[in-house]
Amino acid sequence: MDAALQQLVSGFSIGALYGLLAVGYALVYSVYRFTNWSFDALLVGAAYALWYALNWAGLPWWLAVPLALLAGAVLGWLLEFTAYRRLRERSAPRVLVLISAMGANLMMINLFTLIFGGALRRLPELVPGGWRIGSVSLGRLDVATGLLACAALGALAWVLRRTRVGMAIRASAYDLETAALMGVDANQLAMLVFGMSGVLAGLAGIMVGLRYAVYPYMGLVTLKAMIAAILGGLGSLEGALAGAFLLALTETLIAATVSTAWRDLLAFAVLIVVLLVFPNGLFGAREVA
Amino acid sequence: MRRLLAVLVLMAGLLSGCSRSDNIRIGVLSISSGPDAYVGQASDLALRDRVDELNAAGGIAGRKVELVIYDTRGEITEAVAAAHRLIDQDRVDVIIGPSWSGAAIPIAAIADEAQVPVIATTASNPLVTVDEAGAVHPFMFRVCFIDPYQGSALADFAYHELGLRRAGFITDITSPYSVGIQQFFSERFRALGGEVVAEEAYQANETEFRPMLTKVAAAGADVLMVPSATYRDIALAARQAAGLGINIQYLGVDGWMADDLLAMSGAELEGAYLASGVSTEAPRFAEFNAAFSAKHGIQPSIYAYYALDALAAIESAYYAAGSYADGPALAEVLANLKDTELFTSMVTVDPATHNPLNKPVEILQVRQGAWVLVKTYTPR
Repeated sequence: MDAALQQLVSGFSIGALYGLLAVGYALVYSVYRFTNWSFDALLVGAAYALWYALNWAGLPWWLAVPLALLAGAVLGWLLEFTAYRRLRERSAPRVLVLISAMGANLMMINLFTLIFGGALRRLPELVPGGWRIGSVSLGRLDVATGLLACAALGALAWVLRRTRVGMAIRASAYDLETAALMGVDANQLAMLVFGMSGVLAGLAGIMVGLRYAVYPYMGLVTLKAMIAAILGGLGSLEGALAGAFLLALTETLIAATVSTAWRDLLAFAVLIVVLLVFPNGLFGAREVA
Repeated sequence: MRRLLAVLVLMAGLLSGCSRSDNIRIGVLSISSGPDAYVGQASDLALRDRVDELNAAGGIAGRKVELVIYDTRGEITEAVAAAHRLIDQDRVDVIIGPSWSGAAIPIAAIADEAQVPVIATTASNPLVTVDEAGAVHPFMFRVCFIDPYQGSALADFAYHELGLRRAGFITDITSPYSVGIQQFFSERFRALGGEVVAEEAYQANETEFRPMLTKVAAAGADVLMVPSATYRDIALAARQAAGLGINIQYLGVDGWMADDLLAMSGAELEGAYLASGVSTEAPRFAEFNAAFSAKHGIQPSIYAYYALDALAAIESAYYAAGSYADGPALAEVLANLKDTELFTSMVTVDPATHNPLNKPVEILQVRQGAWVLVKTYTPR
């Protein structure tokens, strides 16, 4: 019984992490209708920035964390300048932007491996300790990740729905060209969206780094998060979070009751069934992207 | 037509240019990018250093040595493609690597067909050098011990020395190495009277081990065996176990051997035991280690040691078979090495299996952030 409860708690903690990442995917998708495959590299870059700020520069965490988030944003802008902007300006097919993102991602991850080496690096425990109820453990880090995912979702929803900037983003999401005619500067908007997505990737990088370790391939977890975002309905922020918890809980339930070897196989079988019933994801808009 | 002919002539010229070389060409199947990049980083440097030394002293048996190193990213398909490229395009005389059994098993057949000797470094699954029927691959060799040695040595050690009776596993089911050790450990442990109470699985590059750890703890295991091919898996699992409040005796394998493991999760793994063919802490390597890290700024690893073992085996093969020996002549010598001093130890090769015969299994323990040698098994 305790083991089952512990699995449930772990499932929530994994879901919170997927959620934080999935919201980042949903943000870019909601505006540009393409999956930002380079989210992985932004996450890794921010995690290394945090590691170096703490261990090499010896900065206190309250300075290192904003720096890491800034690193995420700067990498996001860099990608927008180099890999996306020209393609967008020439109205290139979305699949080309997607490929460009994948290429940029592979390039950056390989660059990180060359510069930083392949070794795992440990971050200091910024959120140490936790609670024990019977034999069930709940880490403070898990709770913090869950709260962060909800806070990121809330903040994004507020910006998108209640502010002028958000209105511009939503107008562009609806029709990029008309919004431009109405005075929305497409390039400024892109800087904003990719900057925000970079900060989200940075947050995710910090949480993944704290939970696991900092290494060039720490971003592989983003694949699961992207699947969670698709499950929730790409472009829907709430959907992304719901999809993340659904995927994580399905995974852990299968691991607990059937077998850990069968986890991914069955979890993705469930995913296919859900998508057959809801082709646009659980919260997705009717439009087929 | 004339243009086509010109292109063909040019290509033929280039190809023959590739193969016309008086140097001994040694191909290397390395891992220098991808998640397992740490495996090849030190071994490539160690091989280059050693080849520079050899060439400065006139080469091997009077011929200069040339390395052709390819990065396989630790992937089977890349390794197989690189092996073909080394043999067909680069026309190497002999190949060092790969490190992983998953890649070494398909490459054995390629080596046999091309009659180019391949010396795997840390690929320890039995099927690397012999086929399913037990027939030896005439051109496939290795310098490490095989999994049954370390699997059964660990089972013996856990049962007799530590008095443990209930084993749990968390195993990478995509790695023949991990699955092999689990099988050999289980067979021996059960034969001794022990019980295997949990067999949990994951796939390569997994980061989340809490579901498996919870199940192993719930099954009442008193020893947790993690036969992972990379230290990453156990480093992450041990931290997560500590977070869950799971306190268990860990047992590990030579795939754990990386000093970065101690930096990453040394505290969580305090008291853990592992088997290895060689330890970077052994005093006889102190001088080499110091020179290596002074020159390159990184620590050498057991992967560097095994690569140097393979190079030393090639050296003795050329001295025995003659400096212009072909593949079959080199293989003949490699299959019959007897009390040959390599980098890490003396080696005698069993001609029937091509496995080194007298490689010891060292049992090490993690104590205060360092590996400490506690026992040496010499397989029968």
